[in-house]
Amino acid sequence: MCQRPAWGCGGRSVTARVDRELNPAELEAFGQELDALRQRTLADLGEADARYIRRVRGVVRLCCWSGRALLMLGWFPPTWLLGTFLLGLGKILENMELGHNVMHGQYDWMNDPEFAGRQYEWDIVGPADFWRHTHNHVHHTYTNVLGMDDDVGYGVVRLFPEQRWKPFYRWQPLWVTIQALLFQYAVAIQHLRLDKLVKGRISKEEVRPLARQFGAKLARQWGKDYLLFPLLALLLGANALAVLTGNLVANLLRNLWTFLVIFCGHFTEKAAVFAPEVLEGETRGHWYLRQLRGSSNLSGGPLLHILTGNLSHQIEHHLFPDLPARRYAELAREVRLIAERYGQHYNCGTLWGQFSTVLRRIWIYRLPAAGMA
Amino acid sequence: MALLSLSLARHVARGLQPLRRLCAAGWLREADVDLCLRLLHPALRLNRVFARVEARRWVADDVLAIELRCNGNTRDWRAGQHVQLYLEQDGVRHGRSYSLTSVAADGRIELAIKRQPGGRLSNVLLDHLEVGEVVELGQAFGDFAWPQEQGAVLLLAAGSGITPLLGLLRDALARGFSAPVTLLHQVRRRGQQAFAEELQALAARYTNFQVRWAFSGEDGGRLTAEQLAALPGAHLLICGPRGFVDQACGWWRDAGRGRSLQAESFSPLPVLAEADTGEVRLRFARSGQQVSGNGNASLLEQAEASGLRPAHGCRQGICTSCTCLLLAGTVRDLRSGELFAEPGQPIRLCVSAPHGDVEVDL
Repeated sequence: MCQRPAWGCGGRSVTARVDRELNPAELEAFGQELDALRQRTLADLGEADARYIRRVRGVVRLCCWSGRALLMLGWFPPTWLLGTFLLGLGKILENMELGHNVMHGQYDWMNDPEFAGRQYEWDIVGPADFWRHTHNHVHHTYTNVLGMDDDVGYGVVRLFPEQRWKPFYRWQPLWVTIQALLFQYAVAIQHLRLDKLVKGRISKEEVRPLARQFGAKLARQWGKDYLLFPLLALLLGANALAVLTGNLVANLLRNLWTFLVIFCGHFTEKAAVFAPEVLEGETRGHWYLRQLRGSSNLSGGPLLHILTGNLSHQIEHHLFPDLPARRYAELAREVRLIAERYGQHYNCGTLWGQFSTVLRRIWIYRLPAAGMA
Repeated sequence: MALLSLSLARHVARGLQPLRRLCAAGWLREADVDLCLRLLHPALRLNRVFARVEARRWVADDVLAIELRCNGNTRDWRAGQHVQLYLEQDGVRHGRSYSLTSVAADGRIELAIKRQPGGRLSNVLLDHLEVGEVVELGQAFGDFAWPQEQGAVLLLAAGSGITPLLGLLRDALARGFSAPVTLLHQVRRRGQQAFAEELQALAARYTNFQVRWAFSGEDGGRLTAEQLAALPGAHLLICGPRGFVDQACGWWRDAGRGRSLQAESFSPLPVLAEADTGEVRLRFARSGQQVSGNGNASLLEQAEASGLRPAHGCRQGICTSCTCLLLAGTVRDLRSGELFAEPGQPIRLCVSAPHGDVEVDL
């Protein structure tokens, strides 16, 4: 039996999810079970979680510093490759497992200013304040609600048939490739709402201070990676160009990896999108259900989970965005059981399995009358 | 092991201004710089205040005075102010506020810590804080100050309320304050007279200073309105538990002596009874507002209702945009009913309702 969610979107999707509809009493109980799970985890937070995030910070430092040091040795292939790889790895970990999770307030309970979500600034071109708004607030509140959650395609890609088609989307495989290569910039400028500026819905005056803030962060990031460290190399008599290209490739590696992980979080074959009407009078149970249906997980080993900042447990992250991400793996076992008990599909697959369905969406929905499965 | 002595490290700290600017502008990560500085001396940091325990001595049965030497990052600290002392337990950095009983120019300070039966932090500090250890402090705050005008000064202290007053007293006498000064320290029983020997020595040395004790655990030992009336003084400085301070201030004003009065009380703010959701007092520290509120609505709604515009986002506890620090009092998480009362703890305004009087950093 294939049933459309009553409060989901009307349009057709690649593959309909098989979810049981929940009556209000069930929804209430579903919400309470997840709340109880959250409380149990909160009560158990302590020393081990604090030690973990400090260790992650230590590994980030070790990777970035040793990577930068190795790049000072110039073009010698093994050191250049290893240095670039380590720097890229450090940047990925800083971005995903450290920055993203700390900025969600996951470690606010530690009361340590270094891990305070509201003041952490991360090592990418998008200012942390932009992200705290576009991601923590907009995306996590309106997950996969069309027209409300800008993360659905980031304004460049049509991923669901429910999104109105524009001629621009015909070339989206090309746009999405460019987006993947420059992913940190795509995420950063999301907050500037340039589309609304072009349409005249917001004024230049509104955008100007944000653009200035973005410019300052951009100058700092470029200054660090493409000016300061190459200059340092010159000063030390090393090869500045090797350092510069190492930094460039490290940033590129991170762009590709984060694009891959983020697109697998909500745009896989069985991820659902929602019409804005679902938000009217949405209960806590509803909210949880929307997070579950809109998110998708990646299966894999501990290394995959750490490298994705545990966004491989996207479902758990969306149900409990402020619980330390290292807990998601253990939460996932219980969440899966709860989902099964309430007849909800638990969207989980391998990285390449899930990503291939994302690619399929990008390819199919470039055309207005998308071919349905 | 420290590569530099702390006094040398203090000199180094002064020369780190360029690094501070680079961190403030976001070119360097402060925690990374701090990691390197720690190798020079465990207490050396770019901006945060860390201090080394230099000495510890018992000044009463249940009060320990610890002498600390701070790194160079203290800003204009004065005796009589409080400072937050942090200690990590189970991954959480807990802070407790202690009064500065002395502040020296070379970065040495003294704090006095009283044992709290069942206390989470005080017992650990008293029993396990060793000489040589390094602890983190906040910046000092508070505006308890010695009166500017001449005239006799009356100091009233109950329990550990002696600590800020002792700091002010030591300072004033050392500066040559010549008008009469009287100190009355009320404690429960003999043996709890913190700094008794030192106070007696001060009284012997400065003829304008006299000290008395009252024992509230003995019959007739508790301060009365009549006794207060008999004590000399044009300026009153008082510190102790809220009940003691409120009562004595009332007597002081009733007797028409109320012109010059500074009071500080350190009891926890009153907590609502489980069923009670009546009127509470809300203090928004940064905007300096005090309003009356209730225990039903979130702090975010109540702050907005009184004209503040705190940062906020989802208004359902997801996005952490409205996170700010709880300074005093107890709040209730509207989602789980859980109570939070740790001073300095980050809370989300949109899902926290006051559970009694509350002060937040807003």
